[in-house]
Amino acid sequence: MTAASLARRVRADLYQPVFRRAWPVWVGAVALALANVFMFSYARVLGVFPQMSMWGNWLYHLAGVKVDAPFLAYPRIPVLLDGHSMICFGLMLGAGISALAAEEFKLRRENWGSYLTALGGGALMGFGTVIMPPCNVGGFFSATMSLSLSGPLTVLGLLPGAWVGGLLLKRQTAQAMAEFSFETLDLGAPAVTRTRSRQPYVALVLALAMAAAAAVYARAGLTRCAGLLLFGALFGIIFQRSRLCFTSAFREIFISRNGTTMKWILLSIGIGTVGMALLKAKGYQPMSAVFPVGVHTVVGGFLFGVGMSIAGGCGVGILWRAAEGYVRAWVAILAGMVTAGGWMLIYHHHVGEGWLYGRPVSLGQTLGWFWGTVAVLGFLAAFYVFILWIEAGRHAHLQSR
Amino acid sequence: MRTFKAVKVGTNHFEVDLRGWVCPFPKYAVAGLMEKLPARGRLDLLVDCPSAPEDVPKVARELGCVGTEVEVLAPGEWRVAIRT
Repeated sequence: MTAASLARRVRADLYQPVFRRAWPVWVGAVALALANVFMFSYARVLGVFPQMSMWGNWLYHLAGVKVDAPFLAYPRIPVLLDGHSMICFGLMLGAGISALAAEEFKLRRENWGSYLTALGGGALMGFGTVIMPPCNVGGFFSATMSLSLSGPLTVLGLLPGAWVGGLLLKRQTAQAMAEFSFETLDLGAPAVTRTRSRQPYVALVLALAMAAAAAVYARAGLTRCAGLLLFGALFGIIFQRSRLCFTSAFREIFISRNGTTMKWILLSIGIGTVGMALLKAKGYQPMSAVFPVGVHTVVGGFLFGVGMSIAGGCGVGILWRAAEGYVRAWVAILAGMVTAGGWMLIYHHHVGEGWLYGRPVSLGQTLGWFWGTVAVLGFLAAFYVFILWIEAGRHAHLQSR
Repeated sequence: MRTFKAVKVGTNHFEVDLRGWVCPFPKYAVAGLMEKLPARGRLDLLVDCPSAPEDVPKVARELGCVGTEVEVLAPGEWRVAIRT
């Protein structure tokens, strides 16, 4: 086989299906569950906002404001030596590489009103993440599959929060539509097509640079950083190619009575739950991703739900969209970092301590790992049936539009 | 308040520029735009949200359009044609 024919085969068998065609959501959901279990067996589960709050805490520190980072498990340390932060950097790099390889990268600018909305959304997510805690993916997705009682409870806040946020977005669309009429439009030329780009080559350079960075970390003895950087990149590729969006999954259940994405996420959690339970039952990190439970779980979830809807993505969502060139996502990241990073200026205790928070409850340790797993799978089944019930009114909903 | 940029490019053929409108705005705008579109019209939506080339045709089909086509306009931009 010549080099040219090998290149053609790689392009047809690997590059085209992975980077040029959108993945079905179910592929993303299954890949996400497997990647999360693998990363847990390596170090920890997926979650991004607590380390972003540590970045925000650095900003206070650099400005001379002495305040501790809000999460005890995420103390303020140099960001480039922080394994948790490597997940975020890897996720952004992976999503950026994936978007460039697919020729989907674009610097996506909006108007100031939209940036202001993203600022508000990011701030709400920042507060949500320290009150819930933590974020949507860590607090719902990873926590539920880690058999934390808090995981299922976040739905009581995230679901109505995302609905309220979605209603605000629909209102904005309706306002823009109110004065619009096709009859008054002037004649004009259609937009010109220009499809040539060098983005795949930039993707290749970026991928090589990331591999080099991982090698440098590994050589310096920071293998955890190297591994989490690469796991983060894997998550970035999965999210970018499958467009698996947690915000949309929560928001569209009530807004358009379409729970397709959430149903795949529930399957993903189900797969992950079995993997996590098997590892935890053997004594491996039994309390990992088990978070405090209380009224704060629901209140924080609500704030986070509104925030992620109007910001245009949850913690993970704004990271991979920032790498796709969304300026709004960068604004939301900054706002989330600043509000969560300064939490102790308001509350004066770390997250999980003091009067606000309940205690962490592991369903595996409380009910036993078998029955704990059954309880989580039962919750997933109940949520699935609830979605089917909401979707049953979809036909009438479409008719009314 | 934000407004849509749009032009008429032919008889009953219109182009609405939703570039800069992040998801889910294009998906939410389809219903209102199709409602206002003249009968047997063609609507070309220009979008730059990577979810829109999947979402917009799905919503348009649910709302009873005759056909949809997606073409790449530029890196990170698509034209979604909707016929009613």
